[in-house]
Amino acid sequence: MLGRGYVTFRSARGSGWRLMGEALSPYRSVVILGSLFAATWTAAKVAVPSIVRVIIDRGIVPGDSGALALGAAVLIGAGVAQAVSTGLRRYLAFKVSLRVEADLRARLFAHVQRLHFGFHDRTQTGELMSRANTDLQQIQFFLVFIPITLANLLTVASVAVVLLLTNVRLALLALAALPFLNLGAAWFSRQLHPVVLALQERLAGVASVVEETVAGIRVVKGFGAEGLQQRQLDAAAEAVYRESMAAARLRAAFLPFLDLLPTLGLVAIVWLGGHEVLAGRLSVGELVQFNAYVLMLIWPLRMVGMLVAQTARSAASAARVAEILETEPAVTDPSDPLALPDGGGPSGQERGMGAVRFEAVAFSYGSGGAAVLDGFDLDVAPGEAVALVGPTGCGKTTVARLLPRFYDVTGGRVLLDGVDVRRLALADLRRAVGLVFEDTFLFSDTVAANIAFAHPGAARETIQRAAELAGAAEFIEELPNGYDTQLGERGFSLSGGQRQRLAIARAILADPRVLILDDATSSVDPTKEHEIRGALAEVMAGRTTIVIAHRPATIALADHVVLLDHGRVVDVGTHAELVARSARYREVLAEAERRDEAERSLAAADEDRVGAGS
Amino acid sequence: MRGVGRGTGQIVDAVEEALSPEEARRVIRRTFRMLRPYRGRVALAAALLVVQTVAVLAGPAFLRYGIDHGIARRDLGAIDRAGLAFLITVLVGFVVSRAVIRTVARVGESFLRDLRGRVFRHLTTLSLDFYDREKAGVVVSRMTSDIDALQELVQQGLVLFVVNGLLFVGAVVVLMAMSPVLALITLAAVPPVVLVSRWFRRESNQAYLDLRDRIGDTLSSLQEGLSGVRVVQAFAQERGQISRFRSASDAQYAAHLHTISLQARFFPAIEFAGVAASVVVLVAGGLMVRSDAVTVGTVAAFVLYLNNLFEPINQLSQLFSTVQAAAAALHKLYGLLDERPVVAERPGAYDLAPGGDLTVDGVTFGYGGAPVLHDVSVEVRSGERVALVGPTGAGKSTLAKLMARLYDPDAGAVRFGTTALPDATLASLRERIVVVPQEGFLFNGTIRDNVAVGRPDASDAEIVAALERLGLADRFQSLPEGLETEVRERGSRLSAGERQLVSLARAALADPAVLVLDEATSNLDPGTELAVEAAMAELMRGRTVVVIAHRLSTARRADRVVVVDEGRVVEEGTHAELMARQGSYAALYASWSQEPGAATADP
Repeated sequence: MLGRGYVTFRSARGSGWRLMGEALSPYRSVVILGSLFAATWTAAKVAVPSIVRVIIDRGIVPGDSGALALGAAVLIGAGVAQAVSTGLRRYLAFKVSLRVEADLRARLFAHVQRLHFGFHDRTQTGELMSRANTDLQQIQFFLVFIPITLANLLTVASVAVVLLLTNVRLALLALAALPFLNLGAAWFSRQLHPVVLALQERLAGVASVVEETVAGIRVVKGFGAEGLQQRQLDAAAEAVYRESMAAARLRAAFLPFLDLLPTLGLVAIVWLGGHEVLAGRLSVGELVQFNAYVLMLIWPLRMVGMLVAQTARSAASAARVAEILETEPAVTDPSDPLALPDGGGPSGQERGMGAVRFEAVAFSYGSGGAAVLDGFDLDVAPGEAVALVGPTGCGKTTVARLLPRFYDVTGGRVLLDGVDVRRLALADLRRAVGLVFEDTFLFSDTVAANIAFAHPGAARETIQRAAELAGAAEFIEELPNGYDTQLGERGFSLSGGQRQRLAIARAILADPRVLILDDATSSVDPTKEHEIRGALAEVMAGRTTIVIAHRPATIALADHVVLLDHGRVVDVGTHAELVARSARYREVLAEAERRDEAERSLAAADEDRVGAGS
Repeated sequence: MRGVGRGTGQIVDAVEEALSPEEARRVIRRTFRMLRPYRGRVALAAALLVVQTVAVLAGPAFLRYGIDHGIARRDLGAIDRAGLAFLITVLVGFVVSRAVIRTVARVGESFLRDLRGRVFRHLTTLSLDFYDREKAGVVVSRMTSDIDALQELVQQGLVLFVVNGLLFVGAVVVLMAMSPVLALITLAAVPPVVLVSRWFRRESNQAYLDLRDRIGDTLSSLQEGLSGVRVVQAFAQERGQISRFRSASDAQYAAHLHTISLQARFFPAIEFAGVAASVVVLVAGGLMVRSDAVTVGTVAAFVLYLNNLFEPINQLSQLFSTVQAAAAALHKLYGLLDERPVVAERPGAYDLAPGGDLTVDGVTFGYGGAPVLHDVSVEVRSGERVALVGPTGAGKSTLAKLMARLYDPDAGAVRFGTTALPDATLASLRERIVVVPQEGFLFNGTIRDNVAVGRPDASDAEIVAALERLGLADRFQSLPEGLETEVRERGSRLSAGERQLVSLARAALADPAVLVLDEATSNLDPGTELAVEAAMAELMRGRTVVVIAHRLSTARRADRVVVVDEGRVVEEGTHAELMARQGSYAALYASWSQEPGAATADP
């Protein structure tokens, strides 16, 4: 399980640092270049007050216009150098950090796409989203600071040197308070972070009352429960108020303090500096210069302080990302894959391909889990259709998942056309096995692209033919843009039955040797089911098919039925034979029927408002 | 569609389309009106802000005094006076800025707290047509991301924004006071800087809008790739998904880098303007010192004040997008507050009589578009049980909603007894007529809270009595925490059937004269199915009932069946009468019975 508490913190940070170093290494030269510009920027910036001092002391006070003009020219030059280098420093720093962020994002995505089902079973999508989003951002925050931090440290050091060289006593006085600025900023950042997190939680509290009320607005209205929800919201808003004020108190305590420290240095300069000037140990120009330098140190010191806190957060984020990248895919290509026997066409129907064989297969989810399959044997001849029937949890869905190697068997083996599936390249195997899932997942893309998912380059005629076979062509043509209609988030949404037919079209287009229908009709309105059954019969003709079903009408599509219980085959025969001889079979069907009956209705869920275009 | 269309948590940088000047003026005026209750504190905050600004601006003035009066005249006393005055100002500034942060936070946060309450209160008064029209996500975002944008301003930007504005104005005033000529020469640098800032603001706002879209694309591609990973692997399309994601991610990178390249041009320009202005001050000042037009101290103070001139411009352009986002958020919130509930209580509304017939008289209704119901008339006599039956989309649910005045008809009327529903007080209406929706919707809270939704003041005894009436008291009281069991978000700790039971108990406690039931169609766990049926039967006893029937058995048990099709009542009568008529009800019945297993399901 992923999570903050999973790895111990120290080792976690180690892996985080390694990841950042590794991700940064291709861009070493850009980082160095950025740092050089940062140093140039520092040099120019630090030079400016000194040039101003020279102008005041040699030009303005003695009234020397030559010196004034020269000084002005030098100052302009320094200004240009400063401007150019600050721009390039910033650009390069962001370029590298954003590039690294994008690289890691793509790498994380690619890695996760290839991770086995088992990983996805135990990891929530939201969790991965936040790795790829918030955590990568935290890494970027840190990386972008590298050149500027170097520049800041350089600024602090060189300013300190210049000031000490100018006047030791005044320098010590002016600088005395500044280290506290650094410490204070770090402390503040650490104090504020938990309050900010708590505030976010309170804000989430408001959001959940609002979401609940909006989702349940019909109940709220129906019972006149507005007042009740209002009281809850008021309480949530009050909690936000209290947490925000806590944050405000923290800011009130620290921010003015952080401002005060350097200003005290300025007071010391005016006061004691004045005395020094009168004593002849300091020039007026130097006094102004001191002032400017102290101002120049404020931000670098504050930023270094904040960076200390940011560093810890970024390292922890990087460690969480590294943890995922270090997870090895459990299902991988064999080192030297075998080829499937040539089937003539892609589906292998011409040469009678598509034999499936499970030999003494054992399987359990996770090590030490209860056995889901145990000594499971199944033989499906090419072109044959078999229905797997059994009570919930008997392992029938597992059977469907082992053939395309979503999981690997823990014992025995699974053969496709005589080859152990673990000896095949994954892409070959999965092209040979097509699946229609219980829940249809559509991508936010066009209808055509969703159908052509297995072969993104498929010709429009191929797509249309697949849609026709799946009984989907009719409704697709009625969509606003036909096959080019966008589905999903910013597009059109389809009904359950329509989605299911697209999934079938998708499987038809993939043209697999073996087709697996995993409860593919269960989410379809029973009054529409017969249409889909027709489409299914079309696809199954001459193709090896494994049907997982519990409705007799769907079971009837298969040549024979395999009854599963407790991970084993308990009976095989035609539907009629099993109904006649197996009490367990009748029991299983009746149980499934009873579950189904609850969903069955004169008309399915009332969807008046869909028609009203809400 | 599963996997697509779910929002993600990230709030992208707060950027918004800019408001028109007219809209902006309206927002500002209204905000001032809304701030009226806090005017004492607002005035205090404003006064404190001015003091803080003066304290900041005083520093260079004391330096100037020290140089001109102390150093130039070799007067140690003047230096000490300047130093002491500076120290006092600094300490005053320190104390005041603490007070500023606290006062502004108190005003801002209480404004936001009250705004949250006010907007939410308003949301709950809006009628269902509003919720049909607006996407739930958008409504929720008014209360979350929009108000959060304001919060961001209150916490991060407001003080800075005002202080920087004041600093700029203050610096101009001080410079003019010290030396009008030198001030005017210096200020010549301001217009180009302002022009460049405006260019930057415009460009970067556009660039951030673009970035926001790109981030949205990346996130949805990410979300889709993750939720659809099983399908992707099943069809061996990892490569395609990865390259799709990579191009979204690269587009985000490019858009982000564009915003940076704008900054990389703007910030140096401002920095250079600062240096260039110092050169102008030094050269012009130097010449003026020679002609004794200004003192050396004045020149020194000018150089220091330049910081207070250019830094605020810089800060203001960076804060501008936060302010703009907040203004846009306020604009949307005010728009929402101006939304009027359609189903509202009329002036002079009176309480409904305790009982009576429910009459639907020539009602036509559409959800803003084409009519869903056409001239429908139905009469439900007091104590009668009527089943509404018909195919999906026929308008049964709509009809039921009109009967409870969740909407008002476009034409025709719904009456309870002799009172047209719009003439009744909403409180009495919700007391007499209660709708029990198809799925038991539970709120976060205990079972007790959820039963008491309609009557929050009900005593424990009344709640237990309501549960007992439905035969449910033991079932819930036997839970480890009894009625105080937390149901968690949307009741996730209970099964679908149990949620339905709580929902029925809620109706029983409300004890209405008329019950409008939307029968559950979804899968109930076998353990609770019987209990739900029994509770439902008990709940209906002695009441007028309108039930949207999804099961044959329900329709058969009703006193009368009303068949709705395409927004019209097509048949009316008892089950037996309608079966004998061989019309659409009989046809519906037949199509259902043909389904395998139907015969056993409804013996």
